Amino acid sequence: MLKINGISKSFNGRSVLKDVYLSIHKGNIAILLGSSGVGKSTLLRILNNLETADSGSVILNGDTLDLTLVNKNHTVGLVFQQFNLFDHLTVEENIMLPLEKTAGKSADQARTIAHELLAHYGLADKANVYPAQLSGGQKQRLAIARAVALRPKILCFDEPTSALDPLLTAHVATSIQELARQDYIVLVATHDTTLVEKLDCTIYLMKNGSIIATVSSKDFYLNRQAYPQVDQFLAGIIEDVENAPSKNASV
Amino acid sequence: MINWSLIISKLPLFWQGLNLSLAIACLSCLIGLIVGIPFGIILTSRLPLRYPVSAYVLVVRGTPMLIQIFFFMYGLPHLGIRLAPFWYAVLAIGFNSAAYVSQIVRSGIQAIQKGQTEAAHVLGLSRIQAMFYIILPQALRITFPAFGNEFVNLIKDSSLASTIGVMELTRTGQIAISSSYDALTIYAGIGICYLVVTSSLTILLHLIEKRMNLYVKN
Repeated sequence: MLKINGISKSFNGRSVLKDVYLSIHKGNIAILLGSSGVGKSTLLRILNNLETADSGSVILNGDTLDLTLVNKNHTVGLVFQQFNLFDHLTVEENIMLPLEKTAGKSADQARTIAHELLAHYGLADKANVYPAQLSGGQKQRLAIARAVALRPKILCFDEPTSALDPLLTAHVATSIQELARQDYIVLVATHDTTLVEKLDCTIYLMKNGSIIATVSSKDFYLNRQAYPQVDQFLAGIIEDVENAPSKNASV
Repeated sequence: MINWSLIISKLPLFWQGLNLSLAIACLSCLIGLIVGIPFGIILTSRLPLRYPVSAYVLVVRGTPMLIQIFFFMYGLPHLGIRLAPFWYAVLAIGFNSAAYVSQIVRSGIQAIQKGQTEAAHVLGLSRIQAMFYIILPQALRITFPAFGNEFVNLIKDSSLASTIGVMELTRTGQIAISSSYDALTIYAGIGICYLVVTSSLTILLHLIEKRMNLYVKN
């Protein structure tokens, strides 16, 4: 179980995250939902040691995580919004390099893992091409494969569908759901309502750096009216939750 | 005006000089890369070493190469380092090139998107691993045309070695003038030699560049 305890973060005096608490069980998906700039990506970046929290802690299975070691220990993985694939390496090398250099795998072991993952994500025939020769959906799958190869306990997705069409969004949703079934703890930062509709997840609606509503997707779709802020955001009635009713139906 | 038969008769002499010019350019290029690449990396780091390196670049880029050649030629013997003029030229041109190479490398590294470093970090690569496996290979690729230009410049710069008596192409031309008294023809001849070499090299570098660009083509 992952617990985020009171994480706060400011940039140049501007508070981006304010005392964020959330907990996710193994095999579950947490959706950080909200407009741009509410702090979703910052939270994922803190979890991945790309930013340092001003305060708060992260607890995984009862132990406080030293966030400075999460990359080295492969505790957390991140699929970036822009994928950030290594353009000078082939598709298989993108997966192999971290395995060889940071996970102690031999070249043969790394190649075997890479080929298994590429086959799983439908990229078997792309092993020797460069990322620039892939479509957006293929790049997304490669980015997921690269993150999964290191077997992190927590997988983060930063706006995974922002560059994809609805069909590819459905494929990404399937991949994310499948990863949750494999017992990964999955966090997804998104403002894509289409993606949320396709996932069995817990929705954390964020506003101004705080979580203002929490609801499981099952409960939400059974009775949308009970969760007006989430409902209005997902319905696209308002771009922000600024003017949403203050009634909060947090779980 | 130009005596073509004189140029043709001097070609064997020019060929000898050209070989030495290319040797100076290649060895200088080697020094430039060996010294300039680490300097370029240091310049993008937060190491205190970046200050002396910046000062070195400032001095080298701010003074004429001819002065630097004389500095090596007349300065090194005072330190007990006595070499053939050829090696003073190689060292002077090489260390001059290192300053320019360091700037090429620095700009290349800074041109790589921050996301590449972040991805490397998230995947557990150390800063050094990220630099050598992710950033530097991409930086060197995008700066390849600039490296090519630098090498072409080195071939032309090698003519300055003539001032300290190295028998490279320009110096062989000066020798030929002293016997033929036809400066215009001889300088036209060696100019053509430089042009043929630099043009061929430019075409070759362009072809290599096209191959290297393969992975960024969609």
